[in-house]
Amino acid sequence: MAHRDWLGLKMELPRARRLQLTLLSFLLPLLIWSAISYIPWLWHPSIRVTATGDVDYFTEEMELPRADFESEAAKMRAQGLAVPEGYRVNPLYLPAPHQVARAFYTGFTTEPRLPGEPWLHESLGHSIRTIFWGFFISSIFGLPLGILCGTYRFFSRLQEPFIEFFRYLPAPAFGALAVAVLGIDDGPKIAIIFIGTFFQQVLVISNTVRKVDPALIEASQTLGAKGWNLVRRVIIPASITDVYNDMRILLGWAWTYLIVAEVVGTMSGITYSINQQARYRNFDNVYAEIMMIGIIGFSSDLFLAWIGRLIFPWKRTARTASPSGASKPTLAAAAVRA
Amino acid sequence: MPTPLDSLPDYRKLAREVKARFERIRQRPVILSVRNLEKSFGAEMHTALDHVSLEIHRREFICVIGPSGCGKSTLIRIIAGLDQATSGEVLLDGKAVTGPGPDRGMVFQGYTLFPWRTVKANVMFGLEMRGKDKSTAEIEARQWLDMVGLGKFENSYPHELSGGMKQRVAIARALANEPRILIMDEPFAALDAQTRCQMQNYLLQIWRKVDVTILFITHDLEEAAYLSDRILVMGANPGRVVEFIDNPVPRPRNVAQFVSPEFLALKLRLEELIHPPMEIEEERLPMVKLTNAGDDVE
Ligand SMILES: Nc1ncnc2c1ncn2[C@@H]1O[C@H](COP(=O)(O)OP(=O)(O)O)[C@@H](O)[C@H]1O
Ligand SMILES: [Mg+2]
Repeated sequence: MAHRDWLGLKMELPRARRLQLTLLSFLLPLLIWSAISYIPWLWHPSIRVTATGDVDYFTEEMELPRADFESEAAKMRAQGLAVPEGYRVNPLYLPAPHQVARAFYTGFTTEPRLPGEPWLHESLGHSIRTIFWGFFISSIFGLPLGILCGTYRFFSRLQEPFIEFFRYLPAPAFGALAVAVLGIDDGPKIAIIFIGTFFQQVLVISNTVRKVDPALIEASQTLGAKGWNLVRRVIIPASITDVYNDMRILLGWAWTYLIVAEVVGTMSGITYSINQQARYRNFDNVYAEIMMIGIIGFSSDLFLAWIGRLIFPWKRTARTASPSGASKPTLAAAAVRA
Repeated sequence: MPTPLDSLPDYRKLAREVKARFERIRQRPVILSVRNLEKSFGAEMHTALDHVSLEIHRREFICVIGPSGCGKSTLIRIIAGLDQATSGEVLLDGKAVTGPGPDRGMVFQGYTLFPWRTVKANVMFGLEMRGKDKSTAEIEARQWLDMVGLGKFENSYPHELSGGMKQRVAIARALANEPRILIMDEPFAALDAQTRCQMQNYLLQIWRKVDVTILFITHDLEEAAYLSDRILVMGANPGRVVEFIDNPVPRPRNVAQFVSPEFLALKLRLEELIHPPMEIEEERLPMVKLTNAGDDVE
């Protein structure tokens, strides 16, 4: 059978294999990381000192490049003094998987070092709030404007050239301006996410709305639809599933603006937290917190995809194959019998 | 050399009862009249329709045939109000057509059901647009669905239906508006032969039960001969009416008539009109013999 072939050109794989491959896509990078972390001869460019020997500037637990350690050890050996000892480690900035995994838990249980500093969950909450408001405010304006531009050439010609231009202005460039206008707290951060999202949103959504099958619009016109009813009852429902998917992608883009937004004004949220952990050289926490951003973004997207399948039942088993007379034998046969 | 075809009757000679039927039809009021319709496209003013005029009587079943690109779709899109004519006019019940409206139902070749609506909600669409309240619309939609034999599928979504079923829903959806005229643009062209034959019989049954005039485009000559009262034959470059033929095959129709002399004579005439003999000259392929193919095929 064709299914024996893993590399079939443009052929969808069976479900079990798809799951295996999904799992592998995460396991492979993890495996490489583990190999580098746990196999000593693979990389491990530094030495952690266990016994200082007679090297006067060595201290226990100190880490230094292997070449420096070897040259000091050679010197001591030549002078007949006590030779230092140590073992090979990776640099501090590359913690092993188990350390990062532990940080996923300890990150939340460790009290902040400075008084008044937020806990990790508070930092994450702050970031999610910033994203939410930026994206929400953008959508309040962007969604209707996009639909308007996609429906009426008048609005598309009136708005899109300027928006097309504006979207090339990098959102972070407005940081200083946003601070001057909105202060140093959350205002400018939300504004950056807004600027980064809004202009793309209008263009992407108007494009999607414009792609509504004209035959559907014509069919509805011959059934008596016109004006606002045509927009509300045909154009919007015909494009809503694609608009919803656009919104998911746009939300993903909004996440990529988060870090630049959070350094504007007083640094806040997860960015502040990552920054502090790096300063304390807790790199396991840094990795864990970066991954948390990915996990929150990715899982919220999966969640939205699932919600989408719930609220758009007609898309649940929609086939992309070209329609043909005998495409659904069971139902068709039932109809003939009926 | 005489062929069996020469023994066919003249397609213009109608049997007495058929002639009487056409006389009765011509007594009926004219429902649609197209006057001197012209349509040009683009900057070069490519003429898609050149002075097309015709009159259709109430409850007639008209089929339109013609070579591809002769302006069949253009003609009915103008009648439906989806396109504007360059000049000329279309009158429905004596009133000029200016845009699309529910008095002219349309069924397209591509499936144009609303995918986000269930079968029943699709049929209800036109009723809702005309301001009927929901419960009335629902009752009427059910009746139309029962008529096309899809009552059981009222809660299915279009993507769950076969092509033939989708077109039946599209017909029910158009008829629910009780249009004066039902316009169909190659509605069965995408269906397999067996389903198409079934659909033709459904359509004839529906037409008999419902007070509606049908304007039906097809490129299938047998389909035109089987369904129609009259056949509008169009020619290309520029698009024009070549002949408007009274179909001599008596009603009610059945599949056995496909081999009746009237049917064959009509089909022969349609063939002549659509594919003039000199045009179907066989194109010789260059002879390139790559392998020894043998010579046991003729
Ligand atoms: N929107 C359009 N723009 C330019 N030319 C068109 C357009 N629609 C149709 N035509 C031309 O008009 C002619 C008639 O087309 P059409 O009515 O679709 O033919 P048919 O339905 O008989 O196959 C064709 O030559 C086609 O190229
Ligand atoms: Mg056509």
